[in-house]
Amino acid sequence: MCLAVPMMVRSTNGFMSTCEAMGIKREVSLFMLQDEQIAPGDFVLVHVGYAIQKVSPTDALSSWELFDEILAANA
Amino acid sequence: MQQTAAYWLEKIQHLELPNRVRIMNVCGGHERTVSATGLRTALPARIELIAGPGCPVCICPEEDIYAAIQLALHEPITLVAFGDMLRVPVNLPQREIRTLLEARAAGADIRAIATPLEALQLALAEPKRTVVFFAAGFETTMAPVAAMLAQGAPDNLLLLLSGRRTWPAVSMLLESDNPGFDALIAPGHVATIMGADEWRFVPERHNIPTAIAGFRANTLVAAIYSVLRQIIGNQPFLDNCYTEVVRPGGNSYAQSCLARVLGIVDANWRGIGIIPTSGYRLQPEFQQHDVQAHFPQYADASRKRVGKMPAGCDCARVVLGRINPNQCRLYGVACLPAQPVGPCMVSDEGACRIWWSNGIRNNLRAGTRKAATHG
Repeated sequence: MCLAVPMMVRSTNGFMSTCEAMGIKREVSLFMLQDEQIAPGDFVLVHVGYAIQKVSPTDALSSWELFDEILAANA
Repeated sequence: MQQTAAYWLEKIQHLELPNRVRIMNVCGGHERTVSATGLRTALPARIELIAGPGCPVCICPEEDIYAAIQLALHEPITLVAFGDMLRVPVNLPQREIRTLLEARAAGADIRAIATPLEALQLALAEPKRTVVFFAAGFETTMAPVAAMLAQGAPDNLLLLLSGRRTWPAVSMLLESDNPGFDALIAPGHVATIMGADEWRFVPERHNIPTAIAGFRANTLVAAIYSVLRQIIGNQPFLDNCYTEVVRPGGNSYAQSCLARVLGIVDANWRGIGIIPTSGYRLQPEFQQHDVQAHFPQYADASRKRVGKMPAGCDCARVVLGRINPNQCRLYGVACLPAQPVGPCMVSDEGACRIWWSNGIRNNLRAGTRKAATHG
């Protein structure tokens, strides 16, 4: 249940944001990242609709490879 | 630049290992990577990878699931929960309603949600409807639940709180006569919230080599290499192999949400019992959201096997890493993903479900022939 997915921030509106990963867009709360500067184009690690940490683009992209593998394994 | 899993595996092959090394993970995500990549067979036979307490659905108190079912059946409320919870059976005879999914089929308003935000939106959209959020999860999940309340939720949103903290379970194992492991892979996303330092007690107080790992094979194998080196050098310390997101102190704002909204209590783990300081309760400021204050009558301690795992089910020992999933006599025989008996076969984080999904069909207790017929 602690699965978290890196997503790219597309837009922000207060503590809410629209994030995207692998073509899927989701509303994501940035409430727990108030101590960080988050702007469109940044990557965040998302768990149950909440960003829990900022991640670098490199780390985000390599994590997506993992999710591709998980999806392939469960297909 | 990060090294590949093959690089670390090669280095592990050249280590002079003791005869037996038991490395425990405490995260369903780690177990999924281990199983999906076939890491157990790629590592030297002396290394045993053990799936420990890493599934919050698996240890969610049976009495809480029972209360959720009864509430949804008998009160004019909407009950929301993460999808995994809907299929976990409680200890009632088969003819009775034993899961939230069955309660929904019987007419109860029960909905699966993917985020606390959905519970909030539902409560905001219909102020006259009482929405009960049955919230199970470890620290990673409870921080968003706390954040949702800290940000402000209407009084018609109630919580049935079944969240648990991971380190007290590891501490309980370490304090026992037989911890059952020689090294620990600490959970990467719990540590993202709570900080790497929360796991210092394992090497420093118990001399157990520890490494925090991410979820890709390369960081997981790097963490395994780290604890092996610690064992060989007899120098246990806390290694952080997931520095991309895990800071020594974690996410301090998330922790401040947790502290403001939730207090710490001793709490029951299904089939295991009370683990000191392993659970949460709402702080006095948030008591209006406590479902038990509104509906105290749904706790029924008089049922048979209340709080226990189902009869014949070895989930409790699987959760504690005492046995492997396929050492339970029900694994793949009476207990399958489509008709689970125990919670470890229900949840995507459950070790039994993960092993089955990755093709492990041999039941070491029941014999391979019987298990294999269920394909």
